[in-house]
Amino acid sequence: MNHREDTRRDDTHGESGDNGPSVIPFGPQHPVLPEPLHFDLYLQDEKVVGAVPQIGYIHRGLELLVEKRDYTDYVHIAERICGICSFMHGMGYCEAVETLLGLAIPDRARWLRTFWCELERAHSHLLWVGLAADAFGFESLFMASWRARELVIDVAEETAGGRVIFGSAIVGGVSRDPSDETLRRCMKALKPARDDIRKLSRVMLQDSTVRHRLEGVGAISKERAYELGAVGPMLRASGYDYDLRKRGYAAYGEIPFETVVETSGDCMARAAVRMREIELSFEIMEKAVAGMPSGPVSVPVKGMPPVGESFARLEQPRGEVLYYVKSKGSRNLERFRVRTPTFANIPAMVEAMRGASLADVPTIILTIDPCISCTER
Amino acid sequence: MTGKEVQVIEEIEAGSLLPAVDALRSAGWRIIQVLCVSIVEGYELSYSFGLDLDMKSLRFRARADEAIPSITSLYPAAFLYENEIRDLFGLRIERIGADWMGRVYDVVGGEAGAKPFSKVTMTGPRSEGGAI
Repeated sequence: MNHREDTRRDDTHGESGDNGPSVIPFGPQHPVLPEPLHFDLYLQDEKVVGAVPQIGYIHRGLELLVEKRDYTDYVHIAERICGICSFMHGMGYCEAVETLLGLAIPDRARWLRTFWCELERAHSHLLWVGLAADAFGFESLFMASWRARELVIDVAEETAGGRVIFGSAIVGGVSRDPSDETLRRCMKALKPARDDIRKLSRVMLQDSTVRHRLEGVGAISKERAYELGAVGPMLRASGYDYDLRKRGYAAYGEIPFETVVETSGDCMARAAVRMREIELSFEIMEKAVAGMPSGPVSVPVKGMPPVGESFARLEQPRGEVLYYVKSKGSRNLERFRVRTPTFANIPAMVEAMRGASLADVPTIILTIDPCISCTER
Repeated sequence: MTGKEVQVIEEIEAGSLLPAVDALRSAGWRIIQVLCVSIVEGYELSYSFGLDLDMKSLRFRARADEAIPSITSLYPAAFLYENEIRDLFGLRIERIGADWMGRVYDVVGGEAGAKPFSKVTMTGPRSEGGAI
């Protein structure tokens, strides 16, 4: 059924005063949404009984651009899919192309990629803390989390060269080689941020006003989250231990860590997963810096990619992301595809809204941590 | 440990899509994505599923004028992938659970619009470097 026709029909029911659901448009512009996303919310009184999502406001066709760019240059476009997961988008593209080429990158490049992945995860989760706090009206928490995030971004700038677009992932390794001394100094510079985050975690997870807004809201069961293809903190907050870093790409196979899992599946559980993952990211960064091997950071990439295809998957801050490249043997690839975590989480987000009150919808959307730039590419 | 993705692609016939997907669902595999690649003679579709950290893809080719069945009866979450593929490639997918009628990407013209990712046109394959 055309959902727009359905919307119109139900609108009429709402206006006529019978007991059918009313339809409230939510977005695409909304104070809690940094990017455009629209929902038709079906309401019975104040309860959401259904939600129909609508995307497509910022589709850029970046996947198609791969046909017109040299395969080694396209990494710069892949990085620009999103300003929050930029390094991981570039790295994911590189991993797919390196698999296609049968290329093994140097050990130091793998460890530096791991360091930057975790730096990006920390800054993404801190961004989320601020947005979520802003959504439920906790402005001082918003400001404190973004202050801590500034220190993380400073380290990105010092080690990779960019604050938003790191620009350090290249096919064959990485383009920057911060010295071991620089990396150790950066970890020291992050200490105030880590101290702040521990305090912020206590506020986020224990403050009664926050708990009132998050506990028991937008819950989704472990089985349902899995069935609907949810990924990342959305899935782990429902009790499913699934984190692609455990597959051991980059240097994750050599850095021991425990996956963060919560069980209640509600907004609070999703918040708890992210808060604990920030600390985990700092721990992995610390181990990466301590164990950083010496040596080159890239290998030369010459010639055309062979005819063929490859998949690559990573664990981004929002969850599993998939990259696909297909080559016809020329410098321009034939196909590039990204399946982003927010795209995978939309069905679970709709499910989480069912039964919630209208006032909780912004919070539920925010605890998915949607990235629409990624989703629409 | 390299951590590289193991590339598992299983070629199937278009007609056996639903039984093959049903078998994976019964075995506990979750949906990861649906991928469409435009090829000169039509489309190449890959349905990727995950179990624990493993991934496998079912692959078949469809002619440009061929309708393919939706898998939303088995995996309701596939509706987004299928709607997107229809908008970008113009592929006919029948009985999508939540059918957006070509409105995922309104900006490119929707169901009756540009089908910008398709290389199949009324006059033949899209030339290299065609308009986005």
